[in-house]
Amino acid sequence: MTAPAMTAPAIQVEGLTYAYGSQVAVRGVSFEVQPGEILGFLGPNGAGKSTTIKVLTGQLTPKAGVARILGRDVTLDDSEIQAQIGVCFEEKNLYLSMSGKENLDFYASLFGIKDFDAMAVLRRVGLAERANDRVSSYSKGMRQRMMISRSFINRPKVLFLDEPTDGLDPVSSAAIRKTIREEADRGAAVLLTTHDMFEADELSDRVAFINEGEIVALDTSENLKLKYGKRSIKVRLRDGDRVREEVLELGDPEAGARMAVAVASPDLLTIHTEEATLEAIFIQLTGRGLA
Amino acid sequence: MTGRPASRAAIIAAIVRKDFKEFSRDRLYVFLSALMLVFFIGIFWVVPSTVDESIVIGIYQTGIDELGMLLQQEGDESGGLELVPLASEEDLKGVIAGDLEAYRTVGGDIVTRDEEAGDEKPKDAERVRVAIGIAFPEGFAGPAASGVGTAVTVYSDADVPPEIQGAMKSLVRELAFSIAGHPLPVELPAADTVILGQDRAGNQVAMRDRMRPLFVFFVLMMETFALASLISSEVMTRTVLAVLVTPAKLGDVLAAKTIFGTLLALSQALILLVAVGALTAQNWSVLIVAALIGALMFTAIGMMVGAAGKDFIGTIFYAMLFVLPLAIPAFAVFFPGTASAWIRVIPSYGLIQTITGVSSYSEGWADVWPHVATTLAWVVVLYMAGLFVLKRKVESL
Repeated sequence: MTAPAMTAPAIQVEGLTYAYGSQVAVRGVSFEVQPGEILGFLGPNGAGKSTTIKVLTGQLTPKAGVARILGRDVTLDDSEIQAQIGVCFEEKNLYLSMSGKENLDFYASLFGIKDFDAMAVLRRVGLAERANDRVSSYSKGMRQRMMISRSFINRPKVLFLDEPTDGLDPVSSAAIRKTIREEADRGAAVLLTTHDMFEADELSDRVAFINEGEIVALDTSENLKLKYGKRSIKVRLRDGDRVREEVLELGDPEAGARMAVAVASPDLLTIHTEEATLEAIFIQLTGRGLA
Repeated sequence: MTGRPASRAAIIAAIVRKDFKEFSRDRLYVFLSALMLVFFIGIFWVVPSTVDESIVIGIYQTGIDELGMLLQQEGDESGGLELVPLASEEDLKGVIAGDLEAYRTVGGDIVTRDEEAGDEKPKDAERVRVAIGIAFPEGFAGPAASGVGTAVTVYSDADVPPEIQGAMKSLVRELAFSIAGHPLPVELPAADTVILGQDRAGNQVAMRDRMRPLFVFFVLMMETFALASLISSEVMTRTVLAVLVTPAKLGDVLAAKTIFGTLLALSQALILLVAVGALTAQNWSVLIVAALIGALMFTAIGMMVGAAGKDFIGTIFYAMLFVLPLAIPAFAVFFPGTASAWIRVIPSYGLIQTITGVSSYSEGWADVWPHVATTLAWVVVLYMAGLFVLKRKVESL
């Protein structure tokens, strides 16, 4: 999960600001996403994640700043941009009276895709067997998979995924994450918004923490953990009837020797790194949780 | 996977196809649309196609042959009076009140029947319904001829309009003058009444023909509900946003909704017009244009209603705010005379007048073009308003 080599950014945002009336939702946000990179936008509800996506997909016009997709200004209402992006909305906005296949066929016709194979797309998300059933009969998880499959139909160069695994069971979530990774490996730049730190940690090449409309941290998950987490190891040893914990600071010159002793000890129970979670870092930075 | 981007026309066509697919799966609106068509076409063919222009008057008079002759003469001159002589004032009252039934036999005699008393229905006799009648007192001619006052009673059913009751009183006075040998001091030209415009005496517009514009209005209205429901659903479920992040633009969506709503309403209106025999070789072009303009008008309303309505009840509520005022000109057709000024400024007035004029009075382009032009101007206003409201709604999502 290393960041791809730097090329022209697929998404380029500089000082982006958007307000709903007097309520500022996004305040001077700047970031870039390279082709093949997954940027996790991590923040609690109302932090400005979805508003950022709406601006980038042309649904909202920014009050200030510049946003470019594939080098083109998003405010230009450019069909060329729309033809190259895929969007998975947070709300499951599917045509319920139409089947899964009909939904995909309809969107494919809007993209002008000839000989579109809806079944192949549905097969990718495990919905081929229900292709001809009306979406109204789909479960919540199946609808979410439909949403994901719809965002893939034009093999987009830029993917905007707003809470893509929301409501999915762990198995389905893992399958969807695998699919998203495949899209990135194909070369798509992915902007993934989520408040699931596990998902962001597992999928994202880099993570942006957004809070109250501002990006408070942006780096790889590993760097953030290194920067904000403790560089220590917690060793648990049996001590008679009790369990004794020992914390070894990695910068401590004696830590190596103490570690060797612990590893050689027959009383050793477990060794854990004291790495911070993304959620812990977010709380540390913003004073609030991700929920 | 994307090759050449879809053209605007292809995108609009795709949205229109999708809209028809969605509509065809909305059982409620498909059922209501079909029901409305069948219902109105059925009603049209059930309602009588002719108008009975004669006024039936029950008469009780005894021993006054001169009066009988005068009454007959009056009836012949008016051409619309049918006299039903009854044997007694009680019979006259009973027939008008509905306690007795009056029948005209093949020989022209009038017989009455009391059903409650178990009277047999007379054979080969035709039922005559009498709603108003005049009972002349015994020896009416004598006092009338000598100028002495005498009482004549006019009996009337409660449903008879006051104008007819007044006409009966005038008839009685005229007869009294005639019997007294005093002609009325009024000179009338050779033709009793000068008809300005087309004289439709004997050729009145039947009730069902008057109903045509109303039926067209209701069919168009039904499709307003269907379009509004579709738009409302698309707005509330935000599927329209998913369309707008593809190469489709808001203008494409609005154009598609216009085409879908207009085609839906126009097709229904045309089916109705054909089924009720309104389209002829002479008038088809005017009626099709009128139906098209009407369909556009209701499409515009559907856009506004769809943008405002949040559910079925909300859609119906907002639709009614528009539909009820627009229905007034359609109902006004049933009332003779010129429509009030305020009715004439209702957007649907010109549409109703066009359909009425063309389908009921054989009018053509030359006669109805002012109505067509006025309606078209209203459609432009309403359509712009519809586009504006729906555009704002989608942009606010």
